Amino acid sequence: MSLITIALAKGRLQDASLDLFGKAGISIPQDLLDSRRLLLEDTSGRYSFVFVKPGDVPVYVEYGVADVGICGRDVLIESAADVHEPLDLRFGYCKLVLASRPETAALGYNPLVATRVATKYPRVTADYFQRHGVPIELIGLSGSVELAAVLGLAHHIVDLVETGRTLRDNGLVVVDTIAESTARLIVNRASYHLKRIAVMALIQLLREAVRTVAQAETSQPEPIPAMD
Amino acid sequence: MSSSLSKIPPGVQYIFDTEVRFRRWVERQVMDVFDGWSYSEIVLPIFDYADLFALGMGKIQAEMTYRFTGRDGKMLALRPEMTSLVARTVATRFRDRHRPIRLSYSGEVFRWDEPRPARQHEFHQIGLEHVGSDRLEADTEVLIIAIEALQRVGIEGFTITLGHVDFIQGIAERLGLNQDACRQMYSIVDRKETEEFDLFLTPYAGENTRESLCRLTTLAGKKEILEEAKSLVTNDRSRSALDDLSRVYAIAEAIGIDEHIDIDLGDVGGLDYYTGLTFKIYAPRLGAALGSGGRYDNLLSQFGRSEPAVGFSLWLDWLAQLSASRNTAPGMGTGNISTLEAAGDLASVFKEASRLRALGTRVEIV
Repeated sequence: MSLITIALAKGRLQDASLDLFGKAGISIPQDLLDSRRLLLEDTSGRYSFVFVKPGDVPVYVEYGVADVGICGRDVLIESAADVHEPLDLRFGYCKLVLASRPETAALGYNPLVATRVATKYPRVTADYFQRHGVPIELIGLSGSVELAAVLGLAHHIVDLVETGRTLRDNGLVVVDTIAESTARLIVNRASYHLKRIAVMALIQLLREAVRTVAQAETSQPEPIPAMD
Repeated sequence: MSSSLSKIPPGVQYIFDTEVRFRRWVERQVMDVFDGWSYSEIVLPIFDYADLFALGMGKIQAEMTYRFTGRDGKMLALRPEMTSLVARTVATRFRDRHRPIRLSYSGEVFRWDEPRPARQHEFHQIGLEHVGSDRLEADTEVLIIAIEALQRVGIEGFTITLGHVDFIQGIAERLGLNQDACRQMYSIVDRKETEEFDLFLTPYAGENTRESLCRLTTLAGKKEILEEAKSLVTNDRSRSALDDLSRVYAIAEAIGIDEHIDIDLGDVGGLDYYTGLTFKIYAPRLGAALGSGGRYDNLLSQFGRSEPAVGFSLWLDWLAQLSASRNTAPGMGTGNISTLEAAGDLASVFKEASRLRALGTRVEIV
């Protein structure tokens, strides 16, 4: 029975997460990764991994079925999960932005008219507009959020932006940056104490791996990325 | 059945069969432990004026109550917790009683809440309050009672984290933080965001101090944490908090319960309510705390009589779920049941049933 169960987000952050664990000396045999098993043990047998949808990582960790997890800060603030957040893993950088068509952006949002906002991040969006005292009509979507602004379903969208290319390609502009996001290590509050020694050891391993990556980046500047 | 009849409001509970029997057993064990330490049970009203809870819990928390209007037009609320009710009683009707006052309670509380681990809208709280003593023996007493209760009901592998609000507040004072900065710091510490905390501290402290403060508030551990903290923190308020924690820890060691205790100097939950020692109880298979408590010396003054108090509460629902005694608790089996057939001469059937009942036998008329 492994000591620690780790929830990883499938998709955008999965490969970088596994890379980081690799650098920390924790790896999953390739044949297991290729299989369809949902619960995978690492080679040392000390860690179990589960791969879940990004938005579900905070849920697994908050309920304690996973002791720790890796997810983007965007997902974390949207979930409002009550967990510890001891480590910024420094990869998966992106921004949560408010965007719209240029003509709407030029108007700003009129606080006297209910602005219609489409998003996959209803909590973050509601909080943001509440802070600004602007009433909104919230439209919850599960994907292709840009389309809502393009077709006029919504005046604004709140969405995740990595390079900004999707926005540009669809003729949308950023009105405001709501939050910046990188991958975070999160820890269940009970596990933090009940499995303290194992959890602390894992945090330390990952902290050193993050440091090693950062040092490698400063000593070897990355090639200039091609313009997108 | 029409859909409105089969529909159940979110968060309420129906409990039956052996689950009820077991919960009653768990409840009796805990109340028996409390009784053994001379805490007398107080039965409290299910609802009271909403203002009372706002005074006790703070306005934001009180918004979680289920509220309704009484016949006199006053706003009432289902009790969201018991401590406010106890505090008001102590400050008024027990005004002239000899201190300390030891009271225990057991009953359902009601809170509107978003779905979160270990939170229902209706759940059963068992707890106690020790009022009138600001001394460390009162803190130690309630901690030891909590451990005895957990052991009695068969909670295995639990950890109680011990913290002290004066530790972090002493640091905030020392740094000269305003209210907003304090709140920001507590939120960072609460989530153990080590790097964020380091960034936050940058304008206030040098690198070495920052490093040790970050480590102290994000690490948890045994008494070595206290020793390290003492060598690093110089303000009186934090040091006095560390002294309190060391003394409690030393007693725990002396009676052999220190294996259950973890020091958590970064515990800042409930900072606007607690005033001294705080603790949270964790056990395997539950991602959240199954009980918590601490010293709250400011609450009673809200009810017109300033005096110190300390207490804690446990969630019966989680005690019952996590208990390892489910199959071994006395009375959990069906036991010997004498079955009597309701046929023929009913008078003699019930006469026989009564005779068996007088002997203490369980009977079932079929």
